[in-house]
Amino acid sequence: MTVATAPQARGASIQIEKLEKQFGAVRAVDNVSLTIAAGEFIALLGPSGSGKSTVLMSLAGFERPTAGRILIDGQDCTALPPYKRNIGMVFQNYTLFPHLSVVDNVAFPLKMRGIAKADRHRQAEAALEIVRLGGYGQRMPKQLSGGQQQRVALARAIVYRPHVLLMDEPLSALDKNLREEMQLEIKRLHSELGLTVVFVTHDQSEALTMADRIAILKSGKLQQVSPARELYERPSNLFAASFIGEMNMLPVEWDGKVARLLSGGAIAIEPSSVIEPVQPGKSVLAVRPERLWITGPEDAGAWPATIRDVVYAGAGTLVIAELAGGTEVRIRLPSNTISGLSAGQVVGLTCPPDAALLYRADQAA
Amino acid sequence: MSPAGFFEADGRRLSRGGIVLLMAPFFGLILFAFFYPLLSLISISVLEPQPTVENYQRVFDNPVYARVLFRTLRIAVLVSLLSLALSFPLALVMANSRGPKAIFLAACVLLPFWSSVLVRTAAWAVLLQRNGLINQGLQAIGLTTEPLTLLYTQGAVVVAMTHVLMPFMVLPIYGALRNIPTDYSRAAAICGAGPLRTFREVTLPLAMPGVIGGFILVFLTALGFFITPALLGSPQEMMIATLISQQMRELLDWPFAAALVGVLTLFVTAMTLAFSRVFRFDRMMGGRA
Repeated sequence: MTVATAPQARGASIQIEKLEKQFGAVRAVDNVSLTIAAGEFIALLGPSGSGKSTVLMSLAGFERPTAGRILIDGQDCTALPPYKRNIGMVFQNYTLFPHLSVVDNVAFPLKMRGIAKADRHRQAEAALEIVRLGGYGQRMPKQLSGGQQQRVALARAIVYRPHVLLMDEPLSALDKNLREEMQLEIKRLHSELGLTVVFVTHDQSEALTMADRIAILKSGKLQQVSPARELYERPSNLFAASFIGEMNMLPVEWDGKVARLLSGGAIAIEPSSVIEPVQPGKSVLAVRPERLWITGPEDAGAWPATIRDVVYAGAGTLVIAELAGGTEVRIRLPSNTISGLSAGQVVGLTCPPDAALLYRADQAA
Repeated sequence: MSPAGFFEADGRRLSRGGIVLLMAPFFGLILFAFFYPLLSLISISVLEPQPTVENYQRVFDNPVYARVLFRTLRIAVLVSLLSLALSFPLALVMANSRGPKAIFLAACVLLPFWSSVLVRTAAWAVLLQRNGLINQGLQAIGLTTEPLTLLYTQGAVVVAMTHVLMPFMVLPIYGALRNIPTDYSRAAAICGAGPLRTFREVTLPLAMPGVIGGFILVFLTALGFFITPALLGSPQEMMIATLISQQMRELLDWPFAAALVGVLTLFVTAMTLAFSRVFRFDRMMGGRA
């Protein structure tokens, strides 16, 4: 867990305790508990309907949880209306007020806090400088591009120096280049201002690049909360494993020490690679495509496989192979290492022991 | 014209010829059925029996007619303000309703709207007459001892016209309110604005185009309103449409009636231009400043 250590850090800690939100018969958020450190950048990641937005809306105060508590800097604000929470928020569709100029939009929160006009305009201009839009104050929101509008929204969210900044898929309306630029911009702001950021996204690469820790949700339940590296290298269950990046899921027979592929071939599993308690019997072996290597078919310990397709994609090449039982395996290799591979060829696959993770078979991926 | 001629080369936008062709029936109709009769009527006011401005002098010289004009204006303003006051809360509730409640409210606004103005005016006559429901009620609860004269008063005209014209106010305001994304009020709330502040700073300004649109619609319609003032108003306190009708049908003074039409038309046109000048719709909608 990375905590902002800068002395000027002024983020607030957030505690979500046993949060629950019921919409009719649907439990959108189901017993979610999450502690976010002051100054931390956390991403809520999940497919649509996973409850990530409902968690965010509960933090903002737009949704009243059915059960559970939300504490910001130790203060219970579960029942506090949004306008009393002193939180900054950036929405997906910018939501700049169309009847107000850019500077009046940014100054709006200051106006609500009773700050005199000259003063709030000066602070708003300063906030616009921070998002690199100095001099745009007199324009109307419609005269700006999407990326510029989202920067104005960002300026409006930080102008009153909130301790917590919530972001609801703020970049999903932008095109790819702009999105990457804004990702860096938001990262920079986070480290400059030291505030606590809760960022909702369905884009895993966005979550991996931006966040200190990533919380994965599925059907209202928290699946895993980890830093990017741990999430990628040691996903805590099959859902997390399949949701982040590519993952080969191979059916195996597990005897407590060795996992045997149904198609022939076996691998000894290190105790630390058994991620969750797995009973001997049918289970699932998970391997990232870039951790597999191709060797000769007769090599000791190699799994026999037949190459079905070789897809060249610049720096990397995707090799699609098939195990004897018909299970498809994806292998990603640096393109300079694959000369001589072609479809139909019989090869062997090997995998370093630390790259093979073992999961229970009985859960839906 | 070939189908291809309808569209620009990109096959999507209408070509100039296509636009002209599609608009032709509409312009044909208003030229034939509006501008031609209106202009020929107004031409009567200055050409018959011989070229003269005497009819217009009469409108402005005789204080009776000036009073009618002024009264018409006052009633139109009153009706517009009253229906605005009644319509805004209704439109606000409608815009925030969903499901059966929304349908019920829409029906309450639209069903009377679809029934004839004459029927609605007659309904008010029934309510307001000497032994009508309102007088009976007032006496029953002891507020009055004998029937009040409610019918054939300016009050009756204002109340009934407000009722008749209210849908023209409710619908544009409802439309404007409904078009405000809910995210705006959320954004305002997270910025620290309570419900009242959000209403004043965000909802109301964004609903203004609807408010002004409704106001113009009701005000201009009220200026030339005929049936309700004719049936519920006092003959001593005529509005301009009733006066025009009287001049045409009872006194057969077409040139003078035509002069009154000319004055009303000029007035309505001037008001429309003034409104569009004062309220820059494009600017309010966040367009180019």
